[in-house]
Parts: sequence; structure tokens; C-alpha cells
Amino acid sequence: MRETERTMLSIQGLHAKVAEKEILHGLDLEVRAGELHAIMGPNGSGKSTLAGVLAGRDTYRVTAGRVTLDGEDLLALTPEKRAAKGVFLAFQYPVEIPGVANMYFLRTALNSLRKARGEEPLDAIDFLGLAHEKMKLVKMDPSFANRGVNEGFSGGEKKRNEIVQMAVLEPRLAILDEIDSGLDIDALRVVADGVNALRSPTRAMIVVTHYQRLLDYIRPDHVHVMVNGRIVTSGGPELALELEKKGYGWIEKEPPARVAAEARL
Amino acid sequence: MTAAEQSFAGQLERAAGVEWRPAGEPAFVCAIRAAGREAFLRAKLPTLKNEDWKYTSLAGLSAVVFEPAPRARVTTAELPPAPRLVFVNGRLDPDASDLAGLGAGVRMGSLAVALRDRPAAVEPFLGMLAGASEAFAALNAGLFEDGALVELADGAQPSPTLHLVFLSAAATPVATHPRNLIVAGKGSRATIVEHYRGEGSYLVNAVTELALSEGAQVEHDRVQEDAPQAFHVGLLQIRQGAASRLTGQSIALGAQLARVEARALLAAEEATCDLNGLYVGGGRQVLDHFVHVDHASPRCTSREVFKGILDGASRGVFAGRVRVREGAQKTDAGQVSSTLLLSEDATVDTKPQLEILADDVKCSHGGAVGQLREDQLFYLRSRGLSAALARALLTWAFASEMVQRVGPEELRARVRRAVTARLPDGELLREVA
Repeated sequence: MRETERTMLSIQGLHAKVAEKEILHGLDLEVRAGELHAIMGPNGSGKSTLAGVLAGRDTYRVTAGRVTLDGEDLLALTPEKRAAKGVFLAFQYPVEIPGVANMYFLRTALNSLRKARGEEPLDAIDFLGLAHEKMKLVKMDPSFANRGVNEGFSGGEKKRNEIVQMAVLEPRLAILDEIDSGLDIDALRVVADGVNALRSPTRAMIVVTHYQRLLDYIRPDHVHVMVNGRIVTSGGPELALELEKKGYGWIEKEPPARVAAEARL
Repeated sequence: MTAAEQSFAGQLERAAGVEWRPAGEPAFVCAIRAAGREAFLRAKLPTLKNEDWKYTSLAGLSAVVFEPAPRARVTTAELPPAPRLVFVNGRLDPDASDLAGLGAGVRMGSLAVALRDRPAAVEPFLGMLAGASEAFAALNAGLFEDGALVELADGAQPSPTLHLVFLSAAATPVATHPRNLIVAGKGSRATIVEHYRGEGSYLVNAVTELALSEGAQVEHDRVQEDAPQAFHVGLLQIRQGAASRLTGQSIALGAQLARVEARALLAAEEATCDLNGLYVGGGRQVLDHFVHVDHASPRCTSREVFKGILDGASRGVFAGRVRVREGAQKTDAGQVSSTLLLSEDATVDTKPQLEILADDVKCSHGGAVGQLREDQLFYLRSRGLSAALARALLTWAFASEMVQRVGPEELRARVRRAVTARLPDGELLREVA
């Protein structure tokens, strides 16, 4: 079987709670290497919860279901072990960490991943070369290298910084949680170009978004609509356009059959 | 009387006889000693009933019988660069000291020698600043043997950092009482470091008096890395002239109990005083800072920024008292105290006190006590950092702001190593920038 045909991520019947409230009510999704899946849905549908559960955030509690990455139980792993397996979450709200220099943090992250994979650490000089090259990808000003992680960054700068991290860490599965939120059209284009440059036959991406707009720049292979903690319909890029026209109310009232998803199984 | 009080009282009585002391101390020193002896015998060691000591119990210290410290020589090769004065068990070690590169307009040497050879230079300052009313300062006045005298002539601006090192070494409990005097002339500028280290069981009870003339600018870094069994008590008494500027850093890392007091008198207009501190505690350590800024003149500025990191069952105390006297208009005073608690059993008490007798002033205080933030930990772990490394890095990030305030680069590097070495899993931070 070719790499691109094998299932990388498999989610089956996933239920998850935040505090005592169940947010995910039996979610199924299959993602293969090389694919880009868009998950759309109204506010409160559970999109960000899904992203957080996949990355291992412990404020979410999985109550039922199964998630595997390359056949391995993902839910049994700590966040750092998931990262070592190649999972990367681009945060909707990247966290500010004053006192930790941006590039020091990123080199520490890269070398932690390399260590977990039995590779030699990258020294400071080699790393800086790599980081500067990746910063160009999203036109990030070099002065951001030595500032505190996301400290005082604008919304757009924070999102660019997430893409730089993704470019340096080279994940197998990238989950981009509302990477478009808070961006003006120019910043959106820069971030989208960065994401597109990182698409590869061996890498899968899940793009979580509220708006179709992002998908004008990042063309998905599959579009899923999430309502109330489940995927209620799936299709190709045309599904996103239909949503844009009709709004989420259309799905919530009369969910269409899951044609695309069924056909794949 | 407690065991410690009895041992000190005995030493004070014997010192009154002066048989063991170099004969012929100047009359003003005899008066300082007599006042100290009387004040200590009257007040004795403070207890929790004393408002200024309500969070720090001296029960452990009180149970110890302290002997006068024996003579000792430096055994460690690890000394800061010259110019430096090295004191071992409270006495100058001339072989370990090195005044190379001191520069013009600066004198640095033994206070005891100056008291013998040219007492007139010392008399206007010694004891004028540090009153003998408080028990430890009184004890120091009664029992000090030596310490550093640093004199900056008007306009002197030595480029090298001036290092004062205080080493203690004892097999059985001893007490030393270093006495330092720093006199900065008009428009002088210097960076002065006091470094405390040691081995064994001891009390170091240091007093530093610091007089800044008009326009003088002094950075004073105080790094306390005493032995785990040691008790450390320090008083920094400051008097500032017009438009002078003092920047003080207190880095408190060692000792089972450490109390540092800084008392600044802003005696003339437009003086600026920044007093900062970082304390890192673990085990059952008690690390206490008491800062008292007295705004006695108009248009002076004071800032205090203190940060604590407490693990295990350690305790931290920060009391910041600001007094704005009548007529001290346009005073600008601010203090912030933040504490990071790394364990359930660690505690901190903070006590801001403002006493304001002028009406046109700006005074603020703030601070927070918290734990490491879950969202920051998750962010780091999601990028591949282990939980231990993520915690260590965030803890370091909290401290680093204070370490950055240490001016001399070589000292900053040393403080950085010393701080990271005391953080849980700090060895993971070897490469921290």
C-alpha cells in the first residue's frame, strides 16, 4: 500500500467532556497521509474541543471512543509523546510566555522531539539558520526571534509564529485550530501560503474553521460539518461553498446524507 | 533567656572588658559598642510578638549556642575577579583579597584597619545610619570585628565591579558580624557586590551602611548563597542625598533562615531608590525580606519589585513599608511582590504598609501569588517539552526578569547558574539563555 493510502488518524465514537459537560458525542473521522481535512461548524459545536483532545489537553476528559495514530492508541500518550509522534496543534489562542525567548523555546522543542526520536540535538548555529529560513516562509520579522514567546505579539504575529513552529517541527499530523481568526485579509493570505507550502504527501492536516473564507486560500480535500459534537455531513470543497450560501442553520435543520464519508468506507 | 541570647550576652559582656580586642578603639566606636550592648541586652532576640517579625520565627536560631568564629583561611579557589575583598569568618583575608585595577578615586579595605589608622574618615558615617535599636543591628554593633570600607571620592567612577566576599566556615555553630561602610561621594558611580557563602552551621549577621552624596549612582547587588544549615541576617541601611540613585538587588538562595532588611532614607530631593529581590526556597527554608523606604524629601522616587519561588515546605515573607513624611510632595512610590508557589505546602506572607503624610503623592502596591499556569504548561508540552522541562522553563521564566537586573555580566551568569541549580529539575536548563 502506498503511504498516501494508509489511514494515519482514525477517530471512532469519540466522546469527551469539559468539566461535567459532554461536548463530543460520538465523533468519527479518518484521515490519510497527504490529505487536508477541513472541519467546519458553528460556535460551540465542539471543533476546538476535538483539536484539544487530539493534542492531549487534560482539561478535556475522553469518556468513550478510540483514537489511533498509525495504529497506535493516541489517547494513552502524554502531550509531549504525541508531539514526538508528529502531532502538532496550532493554537487558536497561542499562549504568551514572557521570559522565554521565542527561538530558545523553539530550539528546545525541536531538540526535545529529536531526543525522543533518538536523533542528535541541533546546535544553536544550525538551528538559527533553519529558523530564519522558516521565518521567511511567513514573512516574520527577525526581531521576533528573541522576544518572549508570543509576548506582546499581535493576533496575526501569533498565528505566523504558530506556522513557523510547524515549519521547524515538521509534524506528520498538523491540527490548525481557527488559524484564520483575528486575521485581516493580507495576514490571512500570508498564513495560508505558509500552510500550503507545508503540505506534503506524507503529512496530513486538519483545519478547523468557522468560516469558508479560509478555504479560498487553503483548498481542502475533504470538508466535514460538525454540529453538536458530531460530524453530521461530509463532502468535497463544494460543501464549504454551500454552507457559505445557506449558513449553518441549513445543516442543523436538515442534515444531508453523509455521501462522501460513506463512499470512502 | 534563650540559649542563643545567653551566648551573645556572654560575648557582649566579655567584649565590654576589651581584653581580647585590639586596644585603643576610638571613643566613638566604644560608644557605638556600648549602645549596641545595652540595646541587645534590653531587647533580646525578636519574637513573633514583634510586629516586624510576626511571620518569621527565630525559635530554631534561639536554641543554638553560638561561639565567636575562629580564624580561618580561604579554602575555595572560586573567587570573583579583582578588585575584591575577601572576609573569612568576619575577618579580612589579605592573601585572598586583591585590589588590582581599583582605579583612581576609590579606596577599599578593612574597616578595622581604618578605625585604627584614620578614624576621622569613618566617624561621620559609622553607626549614624544603622541605629542600634533593633536586636541584630545592636548585636552587630557590639560584636563586629571587621568588614569592608569602600570610599568613592567625588566624581570617582571605577569601571570594574567592586566585590566583597563573605565566607563562613565552622564545624560547630559560630556567629560572625561583618560590618561594612560604603561612602559614595558627589557624582560618583560604582557597582558593588556583596556575596555570602559558607559551609557548616553558623550565623552571619551583617550590617552594611551606605551613604550616597548628591548625584551619586550606586548599584548594590547582594547575593546570599549561605550553607543549608546557616542562619543569615542582613541589614542594608541607606541614606541618599539629592538626585542620587541607588539600585539594589537582593538574591536570597541559601541558609535555613534568611532575613534581609533594607532601610532607605531619601533625605534630599529627587533621589531615586530601586530595591529589588529574588528569593528561591525549598525544603523548610524561611526567606524573609523587609524593606522600608522613608520619603523624607519632595520629588523622590522609589520602586520595589520582589519575586519569590517557593517549593517544598518553604516559607517566604515580604514586608514593604513606605513612609511619606509631611512635606514630601510629588513622591512617587511603588511596590510589587509576586510569588510562585510550586508545592501545596509552600507559603508566603506579604505585607504592604503605606504611611502617607503628604497629599500630592503617587503610591501604589500590587502583586500576586500563584502557581504555574496550566495553559503555558500545555503549550510547551504540545511542542514536545517534557512536563519536567516545561515546569523548569516556566519557573526560570518567572525568575529571569530579576536575574536580568543584575548589572555585571559575570555576576549575572553566576546568579543564573545558582538560581537554576535550585529550581526543581533545573539541571534540564543547562543551556538557558
